[in-house]
Amino acid sequence: MRRLPAAVVAAVLAVLAPGTPAWAHAQLVSADPANGATVSSAPAGVTLEFSERLNPDFTTVVVSDAVRQRVAAGPVTVDGARGAVAFSAALGNGTYTVAYRVVSVDGHTVQGSYPFTLADPDLPAASPASAPAAAAPAAGPGGAGGLLIAAGGAVVLLAVAAVATALRSGRWKRPAAAPPRYGRGRPRSAGSPRRPR
Amino acid sequence: MTAKPLSVSRRGLLAGGAAAGVGMVAAAPAAAAATDIGAATVAFHGPRQAGVAEDPPAHASFVALTLARGVDRAALGRMMRLLTDDAARLTRGAPALGDTDATLAVLPARLTVTFGFGPGLYRAAGLTPPVADLPRFTIDRLQDRWSGGDLLLQICADDPLTVAHTQRMMIKDARPFAAVRWVQQGFRRSPGVQAPEHTQRNVMGQLDGTANPRGAEIDPAVWNPDGSSTLVVRRVRAEMETWDRLSVTDKENAVGRRMESGAPLSGTAEHDKPDFAVLDEFGLPKMPDFSHVTRARVEDPRLKILRRPYNYDGVPDAAGVPDCGLIFAAYQRDIIEQFVPIQRRLAEKDLLNEWITPIGSAVFAIPPGCAEGGWIGQQVLG
Repeated sequence: MRRLPAAVVAAVLAVLAPGTPAWAHAQLVSADPANGATVSSAPAGVTLEFSERLNPDFTTVVVSDAVRQRVAAGPVTVDGARGAVAFSAALGNGTYTVAYRVVSVDGHTVQGSYPFTLADPDLPAASPASAPAAAAPAAGPGGAGGLLIAAGGAVVLLAVAAVATALRSGRWKRPAAAPPRYGRGRPRSAGSPRRPR
Repeated sequence: MTAKPLSVSRRGLLAGGAAAGVGMVAAAPAAAAATDIGAATVAFHGPRQAGVAEDPPAHASFVALTLARGVDRAALGRMMRLLTDDAARLTRGAPALGDTDATLAVLPARLTVTFGFGPGLYRAAGLTPPVADLPRFTIDRLQDRWSGGDLLLQICADDPLTVAHTQRMMIKDARPFAAVRWVQQGFRRSPGVQAPEHTQRNVMGQLDGTANPRGAEIDPAVWNPDGSSTLVVRRVRAEMETWDRLSVTDKENAVGRRMESGAPLSGTAEHDKPDFAVLDEFGLPKMPDFSHVTRARVEDPRLKILRRPYNYDGVPDAAGVPDCGLIFAAYQRDIIEQFVPIQRRLAEKDLLNEWITPIGSAVFAIPPGCAEGGWIGQQVLG
């Protein structure tokens, strides 16, 4: 009997816990493609669902590729707690970052980001450096041969660019095509929005 | 009904003949040990009115008047001769004609009196107004008690007693012609506490006025070739109770600048040009799409507006809720071409709107200045 029943502990904690306003802020509750997902066919866009209604005026969703180029997409559409963007062109294989900035009902800005990877066996594999934006337009509905040629060209271009960069910066030791910053580490949790700064 | 003539006769004296007035001119008392700040003057006469392009003094009173019925073009001319004379004297530290407290006139402290003509003044004179009330914006919660006005006196000085005395003298002299519609009193930092070239903070803690036209940019943005300009005065209430609940980062996202340095979120120093295309490491625009700076930006320097805002801080209510905000005064050549597009973009989408509410609005034409012996409005009413 010396142990308090869990329910009592929970009730006491619930009463004592401060009313942290942060809990009331908009949070990302689900996403398609999902946080950290590897998808096998190119998504037409990104849909994010939050814990509260979004104000369309204050909702930003940006998708960027592995070399931090913004992926062309239409304007954000908001439906209740859901915000979506549609890509203007089909994606190529590679890792992408979805970044969002929304404003809670109380005016707090909430922003965050997460990666997803497109690995479509019918598309050329992403180069080790993740194909740059230059290769992306080739990832259209064209024939596989054309795509392969484009991918090959991209690799050559990359190599040339890498040498040029290395020559310019004089930093031979570092791999020129180093993985981008957000390609590293474990994926950020969709449920824990990042505060800027 | 015409305005009731006042019993005392400064008016009569002046209208009746300068000679009769000479005996009434108060002997100018000596300025008692004025400091540089107290003795400083801003020239009243010139092709453009004072009180616009100079560094704003610490205190201001915006006095809007409603013309009495029956005040016509000739009466307006008499009123403006009189008020011009008052302003010319007081701004050089001399008492107004028949000044009832001449001792209060001797420390001008950069006193300026700027006259603005509202649409109603032109109509009273049988003229087509060159300015019109602003269109309604969705964010507006305008109150009559802070809106409109036929004649504006913008009285600014580095000393509140100088402003008070000037306001009293000039309202007294305007009384036969016009009634007080509203008065908005505001303040900035006191003289000497901050180097003049630094941008000041407003009551919300924001560096306010960073994007103002500077140096050679001012003339083409503010003045018409004839020396005229226009003024928009908006009373913008700050919703301090909810603003106070924001973190510094939230405030910075709403404004688009760092609170401490005033630097745009895309840069590091206050006067860095904001870069609206640059993305952060996660792919988000560093300048949020909905920030005040993003929405208010003007690329063409000729279309900039010269903001000359003053803070107001009234009496808090019993619960301690402050009554404060900004007397937003903006000068520009043309209201429709310059001010309205900016305000429209802000009304449409500006996160800062969550914490500011326009509660008053008025527009005025700023007639050219005048030479010694002339009067403000001569080109319009003469």
